[in-house]
Amino acid sequence: MKAGMSLDDPSSKRQAYRLKKQENRQELKHVRIDPSASSEKIDLPRKRFYRQRAHSNPFSDHQLEYPVSPEEMDWQKLYPHFFDEATSKMTKEVTIADIGCGFGGLLIDLSPEFPENLILGMEIRVQVTNYVEDRIIALRSNNAATNGYQNISVLRGNAMKFLPNFFRKSQLEKMFFCFPDPHFKQRKHKARIITNTLLSEYAYALKEGGIVYTITDVLDLHQWMVKHLEEHPLFDRLSTEWEKNDKCVQIMRHATEEGKKVERKKGDKYVACFVRLPNPTIM
Amino acid sequence: MIHPIQTAVVNRDGSVVFCVIKNMIQVFRWDQTKSEFVAAGQWVDDEDSSNAIKKKVSEEQQRQRAENEAKRRKIEDDAAESETAKRSRRHKDAKVPVPGAGAPPVYNHVRNLALSRDEKLLYACTDSDKALVVFALDFDKENCLILQKRQPLPKRPNALTTTQDDKQVLVADKFGDVYSVDARGSDVVDVSKGNLEPILGHVSLLTAVAIVCDADGKQLLVTADRDEHIRLTHYPQTYIVDKWLFGSKQFVSTLCVPEWGTNLLFSAGGDNFVSSWNWQSGELVDALDIDELVNPFLGDAQLAPSKFQDESNSLVEYAVSKLVTFSNLPYVAFFVEQTRALFICKVDPLVGKLMLVQTIEMSLNIVSLSSALSADSIMVTLDHRDSENAHLAAFITWDGTQFSVDGEKNISFHNCITEKLHEDPVASTEAQDIYPLYSVATLRKRAEN
Repeated sequence: MKAGMSLDDPSSKRQAYRLKKQENRQELKHVRIDPSASSEKIDLPRKRFYRQRAHSNPFSDHQLEYPVSPEEMDWQKLYPHFFDEATSKMTKEVTIADIGCGFGGLLIDLSPEFPENLILGMEIRVQVTNYVEDRIIALRSNNAATNGYQNISVLRGNAMKFLPNFFRKSQLEKMFFCFPDPHFKQRKHKARIITNTLLSEYAYALKEGGIVYTITDVLDLHQWMVKHLEEHPLFDRLSTEWEKNDKCVQIMRHATEEGKKVERKKGDKYVACFVRLPNPTIM
Repeated sequence: MIHPIQTAVVNRDGSVVFCVIKNMIQVFRWDQTKSEFVAAGQWVDDEDSSNAIKKKVSEEQQRQRAENEAKRRKIEDDAAESETAKRSRRHKDAKVPVPGAGAPPVYNHVRNLALSRDEKLLYACTDSDKALVVFALDFDKENCLILQKRQPLPKRPNALTTTQDDKQVLVADKFGDVYSVDARGSDVVDVSKGNLEPILGHVSLLTAVAIVCDADGKQLLVTADRDEHIRLTHYPQTYIVDKWLFGSKQFVSTLCVPEWGTNLLFSAGGDNFVSSWNWQSGELVDALDIDELVNPFLGDAQLAPSKFQDESNSLVEYAVSKLVTFSNLPYVAFFVEQTRALFICKVDPLVGKLMLVQTIEMSLNIVSLSSALSADSIMVTLDHRDSENAHLAAFITWDGTQFSVDGEKNISFHNCITEKLHEDPVASTEAQDIYPLYSVATLRKRAEN
């Protein structure tokens, strides 16, 4: 089903729900929440109203908004709490990226663990992005007293094409690739989010010592991701011992919606983490 | 009539002209003693594209059969499987595609003509088998083109350049990948076995590729795509991205690296400006607004397609097709697709500022543009399909103060090419059977949801 197909049917419950949420979103998306104002509790969005087909073609020309360069990106809109009115500058920049964040479970669990980091989810599907936005709006306003969830945000984008438009060289400390689209057909392997050629772009955005986290329930894809990351001269695999002691790995295993689904179905989860090595001497 | 010349390349001193007409390369040499052009060689790509397709399909069939066989065995082992499930799993073979009625015609262009830096080799790409073709040049022979090798590539090549030492050809394709092919020798890598790995990739169609050298002589590969990106990558360590040049708002169609300004790089495409970059600092040093200069030359050809047109039918879209420069002369020349005008800008070689100094209006639409780097001259090929006896190409030379059309050279070239090709079965064509000459405008992105 196409997104927005039910526009023709104004009586549809889903349509009415989406419209209401959209108004809400436009009003609340970019505002700084005033903790002193006693506002009523906002309900968390309901996932069933945001269903959309599971896949999106990363090669097609989507109607995307992206800055001409990282310098032109207006982060204030995404993290109003971290904007300093006096200097008109952001007080922090994004250092953790969840590529293909889906319904945002990882972002929400990472938020309290990394209060000093800005965390960005990127998702290519419109309705799913809307869901995460609504979820963050609700969480922010319901936790206004503690300024909770101010450090997470989401944007709709195609990370495979436009990641360098958002992040400067060596800006990121962590990148997450959780349960990516497996693209089983051999013909479609270039559409996978981890390829030799794309890894060079991720290495550009990551700083030395930065971490790439991958998790999937598809063994074939796991082996593919490990193979390509191992082949890449700028990445080195981290040990299972390291994985055991890393809190992000624990969160990644249990926080994401896909992770929970796999758990319910008692499926396997394959984790692999890699560290960004320093650039060798230029030849 | 003779088919228009789709692409042409001139060597550094302007003495040899390589032309593409349909699936054929024609070479003409300027004979200094006789003061006229003479035919120097030719090559026709007679590869049948259907062979390549058949080969691919039969490989796919074999792969699928093997896969189905494996599945079938698995199912037979699994006795609990029901009859209906078995039936639904029966698979069909891949078919060799046959174009139906009304299918667009298949054109076997030769594309991306380029000379090696030492001008001893000529490179071209063929549509028929998506191959890079390498020729050695020997002007003592009757036919100067000596086929060295033909390296098929996984996807359609769209641009190429060579490394500083001329040892590798770097081919950028429409799938967004760049492959490095050994320029010398005749060894061919078997692509179907997956033995050719890309050295870098964009997730976007690549439109141009170039090599630049920094102050220490280290090479960087510049790649441009239809998502406004110009990327600089270290070579040969292509896994290290140096930077992106940000500032383009539309697709990039052409890149140009001058020999006189070591930090400068020019680009253009779907934007209404020509960009001048300092690639060392990553800065856009100048964006020459070309709306006003281009406007008088635009016509119906530049109206946006009806599907994307506005209500008053006045939405105009144009694109710069090609930018060229010279070895010493600090000038760049460019043209807009499907127009007659050639624009020439003077460049401040220190800061990269662009200033329009000359507009030369040709009698016909320009199809391609090439420059003789050290001779400070330009060759354009022309779309002569609607005019009887018109020239197929024009030469424009620098006289020390400005550029002017070289009438004598034009006539000599015209006489030479018509004499050589007027009865040639490959070159002859009807006006309605002309290969698509204008493809840059189609790079414009049309957003879906």
